[in-house]
Amino acid sequence: MVLGNYKSAVAARSTDKGILSASQDGGIVTQLFAFALDEGIIDGAIVAGPGAEPWMPEPVVATTKAELLAARGTRYTISPNMALIKEATRSYGLDKVGIVGTPCQMQGLRKAQLYPIGMRDVPDKIALAIGIFCMENFPYQGLETMVEDHCTVKMESAVKMDIGKGKFSVYTERGGLSQIPLKLTHKYEQPGCHVCLDYVSNLADVSTGSVGTPDGWSTVFVRTKVGDGVWARAVDAGCFETKPIEEVKPGLELVTKLATDKITKNQKTVEARASFGVKADGSGKALRNPYL
Amino acid sequence: MSKVVEISPTTRHEGHTKLVLKVNDEGIIERGDWLSLTPVRGIEKLAIGKSMHQVPKISSRVCGICPIAHTLAGCEAMEASIGCEIPEDAYLLRLILQCANRLHSHALHNILSLPDMYLPGTDVKINPFTPEEPVRTVALRIQRLREIAQTIGEIVGGEAIHPSNPRVGGMYTNITPRAKAKIYDLAKEGVPLMHAHMDLMIAIFKNWDARPTAANASGVEVEKTEKFGFHDQGYMAAAPLYASSSLDLDPQWSPERWTEVRPWDWYMGEMEIDLEDPSYPFGGTTKAGAKAWPQMEACTGVPLYDGAPVEVGPRARLAKYRDYDRKGAMGLQIARQMEFPDTLYAMMEAVDALDTSGSVLADEIPSGDGSLGWCANEAPRGCDVHLAKVKDNKVQWYSLLVPTTWNFPTCSRALEGAPWQLAEVIVRAYDPCVSCATHMLVVDEEKKVVAQKLIQ
Ligand SMILES: Cc1cc2nc3c(=O)[nH]c(=O)nc-3n(C[C@H](O)[C@H](O)[C@H](O)COP(=O)(O)OP(=O)(O)OC[C@H]3O[C@@H](n4cnc5c(N)ncnc54)[C@H](O)[C@@H]3O)c2cc1C
Ligand code: SF4
Repeated sequence: MVLGNYKSAVAARSTDKGILSASQDGGIVTQLFAFALDEGIIDGAIVAGPGAEPWMPEPVVATTKAELLAARGTRYTISPNMALIKEATRSYGLDKVGIVGTPCQMQGLRKAQLYPIGMRDVPDKIALAIGIFCMENFPYQGLETMVEDHCTVKMESAVKMDIGKGKFSVYTERGGLSQIPLKLTHKYEQPGCHVCLDYVSNLADVSTGSVGTPDGWSTVFVRTKVGDGVWARAVDAGCFETKPIEEVKPGLELVTKLATDKITKNQKTVEARASFGVKADGSGKALRNPYL
Repeated sequence: MSKVVEISPTTRHEGHTKLVLKVNDEGIIERGDWLSLTPVRGIEKLAIGKSMHQVPKISSRVCGICPIAHTLAGCEAMEASIGCEIPEDAYLLRLILQCANRLHSHALHNILSLPDMYLPGTDVKINPFTPEEPVRTVALRIQRLREIAQTIGEIVGGEAIHPSNPRVGGMYTNITPRAKAKIYDLAKEGVPLMHAHMDLMIAIFKNWDARPTAANASGVEVEKTEKFGFHDQGYMAAAPLYASSSLDLDPQWSPERWTEVRPWDWYMGEMEIDLEDPSYPFGGTTKAGAKAWPQMEACTGVPLYDGAPVEVGPRARLAKYRDYDRKGAMGLQIARQMEFPDTLYAMMEAVDALDTSGSVLADEIPSGDGSLGWCANEAPRGCDVHLAKVKDNKVQWYSLLVPTTWNFPTCSRALEGAPWQLAEVIVRAYDPCVSCATHMLVVDEEKKVVAQKLIQ
C-alpha cells in the first residue's frame, strides 16, 4: 500500500521532442496537460511557472501550451500551487481546472473537494490532478545554499537540478555538473516534510516521477477513473511512448523501497511528537498530530 | 375600542422582527409598529481604529444577501474620505458585481413573496416548493437566475457571498478574456429567463392587488382594503443602479439632510396584548396578557431625511429616476420586478466596455487626513449609505445607514388601514433585511441615554 491505489503502472515518455527538450524526466506532466488542453478536458492548469528569482517557482494558471512549456522542470523549493485553486474558478473563469503538485498538494486538493471550507464552487471544477513523486522539499534559501555554497554554482547558471542515486546534482549552462551527497542537504529540508507519509502522490488522478525508470523516462501510476480515461486517450492519440513497468530497470521494486523508507522514517517522527515534551509530573507532553 | 395584537416573530424575510399592531373592531390597523429584535452587533463602534482596508471586509459580514452593497459602500466611503479615484475598469467590474447581486437578491425575494400570492385566475396559493407544474418551472427558473447571478458575482467579485476582489483603490485583480466571455454567455442565457420571469411576477402581483379578498397562510380569508400598504412618506434614492458618493461632481445624497431620532421618540410605549389568534400561521400570535414595549425593544435608530422617514428601494429609485407612480405594497413589489432587465443589460454593457488588460488599482492611494467621505450604494433593498473619516489609513469614524433602517418607520406607517392578518404582506413588500438594519451601537452623549435605557 505504500504506492497507493492504482489501476496501472507504466514507464513512459512524451513523443514530443519539443516537450522533452526541457522537461525534468519523461515530460509526462507537460504532455498530459497539453493534450488535455487541446481536447477540452481542462481549460487551464495550475503549474509552477517562472518566479521572481532564478529557480523560484510561482504558481500560474496556464491556458496555453507555451505557458505549460515555460513551467517545465523540477524546482526543488516550495511552489504553493493550491493557492490559485479558488482564483482559477473566479477571475480566470475556468470550469475545468487541471493542477500539478506534490503529494501534500494533492492531499490539500482532495480535502478541499470533500471539505470545502471557504472553497465554494471548487470541488466540482477539478478536472485533472497530476501528482509528482516527492521525497522532501526545501525552502528557497535552503536551495540557494545547496546550489551556491555546496555546489558552488550561481543559481542563474544552473539549467537543471536533480535528486537521484543519493546525490543532489546541478547541471550548468556551460555543460558542467556539480554534485553533493544528499546527506549534506538534510539540514536544509523543510521541517514539515518530516511528517509526510506519501511518496508517490497517492491521491492524484495520475502520478509520475523519475524513480524506477531510466533517465529521460518516467514512472507513471494511473489511479482514478478520470486519470484512466485521460491517459488512455492520450496514449491512443500517440502522445506517449510506453513500456510495461516490469520490463524496465530498476522498476517498481526501487519505488516501493524508497516509498517504504520515507513512510517508515516519517512515521517515527510523527510518533515521536506524542512525547516530544515533558509535563511537570514527568509524563509526556505531545505536539499536535494532524493524522489523529 | 382598539385592541393590540402582536405577530412575533415575522417570517419570510431576512432577520428577526415583530409587528405590534393596534387594531379596531374590524381588525383594521390603526397604528402599527414594525421593529427589529435582532441583537445589535456594533460594527460601527468596532471599526474605529482599524485599517481602512479591513473595515469594508467586516461590514460585508453585516449581511450575506447584500454583502456586495456593504463591501462596495464601505470601500467607496473610504475612497471618498481619502480622495481616491479608481480606474475605469475597476469601476466596470464593481458595476457588474452590483448588477449580479441585484439580480440574485430580487430573485431570492420572489421565493419569499410567492407563498402570499395566487396563481393568476385561480384561488390556488403558490407553494414554491411544490413539484407540480406550473410552479415547478417557475422555481427552477428562479434558481437558475440566481445561479447565473452568483456565478457572475463570483467571477468579478472573487466570491458571491462576501466578495474578496474589491479593495480600497479599486480591485485586486482584473478578469481574463475567458472569464469575460463566460459572463457574457451567462448573461445572455439569463435574458429570456429574466423576461419570462418578470412578466409572470408582475402578473401575479397585479392579480393579488385586484382581488377583493386574500388569505394568509392558514387560509383565513379577509377583505382587502383599497389603499393596501399606502403611505405618505417621501422617497430617497441616490442612483438608478449603482451609487453616488461625495467624490461626485453632483452628489445625489446629502449628509446635511439626514438626522436620526431614537426609537424612544418614534415607537409606541408600553402596552398589553389583548387580542390573540392561535390560528395565525404558524403557531399563533403572541398570547393575550403579554406586554409589548416597542420604544424599548426596537434595536434600530430611526433615520430621517429632511426631518421625515422615507422609503428606499426599487420604487424609490423608479419614482425618482423614471417617474414611476404606483403606490401601495404591490406597487413596490412590481417596481422590484421592473428592475430585472437593467441588471442583465447594464451588466452586458459593462462587460462589453471592460478592458481585461486594463489596470484595476489606483496608482496612488492616499492615507487620508480625517475628512468626511460617504458613499450611497443602491443596494437591492435601497440606499445604503456608509460614512467614514479616515486618517493615516485608519478609520476614525464610521456610520452605516442601511436600507431597511430607513424603511422601518415608513413601513410602519404603511401598515395603517390594512387588515392585521395581512400586515406581513406589506412588510415583505419592503424585502426587509434586518441584519442589515441592526448593526449599530449608539455612540454620542445624547444617544448613550438610549443605550442605558435598553440595558435596564
Ligand atoms: C520537491 C520535489 C521533490 C521531488 N522528489 C522526487 C523523488 O524523490 N523521486 C522522484 O521520482 N521524483 C521526484 N520529484 C518529481 C520529479 O522531479 C519530476 O517533477 C517529475 O518526474 C515530473 O517530470 P516530468 O518530466 O513529467 O514533468 P515536466 O514536464 O518537466 O513538468 C514538471 C511539472 O512540475 C511542476 N513543478 C515543478 N516544480 C514544482 C514544485 N516545486 N512544486 C510543484 N510543482 C512543481 C512544474 O510546474 C511542471 O508542470 C520531485 C519533484 C519535486 C518538485
Ligand atoms: S515531502 Fe511531503 S510535505 Fe514535503 S513537499 Fe513533498 S509531499 Fe509535500
